[in-house]
Amino acid sequence: MYGIFMESLVIFKLYTGLKLLLILTALSWVYLLFKEKDKRVRLLLVYAPILILALFLFPVSRKAFVAAGLDGETYYRVLWTIPMGIITAYGACRLFAAHRRIGLVIASALVILCGSYVYKSEYISRAENLYHIPDTVIKICDRITPDRPNATVTAVMPPELIHFVRQYDANIRMPYGREMLVARWDYYNAVYEAMEKPEVVNMETLLEATRADYCRYLVMAEGKRTDVPPEDAGLVLLETIDGYRIYEDPVTAQVTEQWLEYYENEEE
Amino acid sequence: MSVLNILCLILWLVVVPFCMGLLFFPLVGKSFRTPAMALTAGYILLFMLLELIGIPVVLLAVYNGFTLFVRLFTPCILLCAAAGILITLYRKKQSGAYIYEMSRAAVRPDNTKREISLEGKIVFGLFLILVGFQLYMAFTQASFDGDDAYYGAQAVAAQQLDTLYRVNPYTGRSAPLDVRHGLALFPIWEAWLGRMSGVHATIVSHTIVPLLLIPLTYILYYQIGKILLRKKKDLLPMFMVVMALWQMFGNISIYTPETFFLTRTWQGKSFAGSFVIPAVIWLFLCLFVTSDESDSSDEFEVLNDTGERKTGFWLLLACLNFAGGASSSLAVLLSCLMSAGFSVLFALREKRFGILVKAGLCCVTGGVYVLLYLLLTHGIIRL
Repeated sequence: MYGIFMESLVIFKLYTGLKLLLILTALSWVYLLFKEKDKRVRLLLVYAPILILALFLFPVSRKAFVAAGLDGETYYRVLWTIPMGIITAYGACRLFAAHRRIGLVIASALVILCGSYVYKSEYISRAENLYHIPDTVIKICDRITPDRPNATVTAVMPPELIHFVRQYDANIRMPYGREMLVARWDYYNAVYEAMEKPEVVNMETLLEATRADYCRYLVMAEGKRTDVPPEDAGLVLLETIDGYRIYEDPVTAQVTEQWLEYYENEEE
Repeated sequence: MSVLNILCLILWLVVVPFCMGLLFFPLVGKSFRTPAMALTAGYILLFMLLELIGIPVVLLAVYNGFTLFVRLFTPCILLCAAAGILITLYRKKQSGAYIYEMSRAAVRPDNTKREISLEGKIVFGLFLILVGFQLYMAFTQASFDGDDAYYGAQAVAAQQLDTLYRVNPYTGRSAPLDVRHGLALFPIWEAWLGRMSGVHATIVSHTIVPLLLIPLTYILYYQIGKILLRKKKDLLPMFMVVMALWQMFGNISIYTPETFFLTRTWQGKSFAGSFVIPAVIWLFLCLFVTSDESDSSDEFEVLNDTGERKTGFWLLLACLNFAGGASSSLAVLLSCLMSAGFSVLFALREKRFGILVKAGLCCVTGGVYVLLYLLLTHGIIRL
C-alpha cells in the first residue's frame, strides 16, 4: 500500500512539475479557505479539491482504477477534476477585488512568470498546409495512392513519416506503423527488423519480408544505406521527392494487380 | 476550401448545436437563457446523441458502419435543432426576447441594462486578443502528437473506408473491433463533420475543430465566472484574462489539461479535460450556487433569481454523464464520480437528501456506459 501511495505521489509531482504555478494555486486555495463566505462555492472550490487529492493519493483508489480495466498510465487524469485554473483565477479576483487594475497586472505577471509557455514546445512548428502534416507526406502519398476506387496499396515508410501517412490517405497500408516506434510496447515486425534495425539494410532479407507482406512500394530516405543498390535487387525507382526515394517492387506489383483484376471481375 | 465548405461547417458546428441547445430553455430559469447556454447545452446534447446512436452502430455494423451512422445521426440532430427552433418560436415572448437581450448586455429583472465600465471593456478586449492569438496559433501552427496516428487515422478511415474501429489505424489492416477505444466517438464526429462539409477529416480535426473548441471552452469558463462573480461582475473580465493566460502558461508538464487544450485540442481526451470536467462544475454551480436566499434586492443579479426552474440542469448533467464518453471512457467515470461526490457534499450541506436521488438518476446514463465498457473490455460481451 505504501508503495502505491508513493507511486501516486510521484504521479502528482510529475503532473504539477512541482512548478511555481502549483504554489500559485495553493495560495489561492488558502485564501479562499479563509475568505470565501459562500459555503456552496467553498464546497466546490475548497473542500472538493482537497478531497479529490486525498482520494487520488489513497492507494485503494489507484487499485480500483486499474481493476476497472482502465489504463494505469492515465491515472494522472483524475487530477483534471481539480480545477486549478478556476481556483487561481477566482482567488486572484477575490484577493484584488478592491484593486482591480494592479490586481490584473500582478495576477497576469505571476501566471506568466510561474508558468511555462505552451507554444514553446519542440513539437510545435509552422503548419505547411491545412492538414497540419508535412507537405512531403502528401506528395509521396499522392504519388503512390491507387488510381482504382476502393483499392489499397501497401508501402513501407521511413519512421519520421509513419505517423502522418494514414492521417492523409486511408487507402495506403503499411506493414508496420506507430506501434513499432514506441519501444515499451515491444512489438515485432519482420519488415521493421529488416528495414530499421540494421545500419546497412540487407536487400535480400528486406525483400523477402516485404514480399511476404505484399508491400508494393518502399520509401527510403536518400541517406539510407543498403548492401546492394535497390535497383540491382530488382526494385524500380519511381521518383525522388524531397529527399525520399520511392521504389516500386515489380514482383509485388504484378501480384497485387492480378488480385485487383480478379476482384473487379468478380464484382462484374 | 470553398465558401460552401465553410458555410456547411458553420451550419454543423455552430447553428445546429445552438438550435439544439434551445430545447433546454423551457427547463431553466429565464436568466439562464443566453446564447452561451444554448451553445453549451447544444453540444452536450449533440455528444450524447453521438454516443447514443454511434455506439450501437459501432458494435453491430461490420460493414458500411459510417454511412449508417451518418444516415441515423444527421436527421436526429436536425430534428432536435428544428424542435429547438419551434419551441423558441412558440415561446417567443419568454425565450426569444431573452436571447436577443442577453446577447447585448446583462439584463436585470426589471429589464434595465447593466452597463459595463470602460475599464471592463478594455480588459475584456484584452481577453479577446488572447483568445484570438490562441486561435491564430491553432490555425497556423502544427502540433505533433503521436496519438494522432491513432485518432486521426481512425477518423480518416471512417471517412474514406466507411468503417468504424474495425481497421488497425496504424497499418490499415482489418482488425477485430477495438472495444477499448470504440465507445469514444470523438474522431467519428470529426469524420462526420468532414462528410457533411466535404472537407478531409484531418483538416477538420487539426484546423477547423480547434477554432470551435477553443471559444466553446472559454464560453464555458465565462459562464462559470459569471456565477462565481455574480455579485462582483466587474471582476469577470479579469477572471477571463487570467483564465486565458492560465491556458497559455499552464504547460507545467505534458499531463495538464492546459497542455492538452492548446496542443491536442482536436483529441477527445483534450475535450474531456477542458470541457466535460469543467462542465460538471458549471452545472453544479448552476444548480446550487446561483440562488442565494440571503441576497438583498440590491445585490440581485441576472443569475441570481431564486427559485427558478433547474430541471434542465439535472437533465444536462444526465446527458453530460453519457456525452463525456465521446471524448474518452475515463471522462464518463470521472464525470459520474464528480456528480456523485459533489451531490453528497451538497446533500449534507443543504440537508436535502433528494439531491442524492436526482444525482443518482443523472449517473444512470454514465453507469450504463461504464457497465458496457467493462463487459466489452473484460470479454463478457463478445462481438
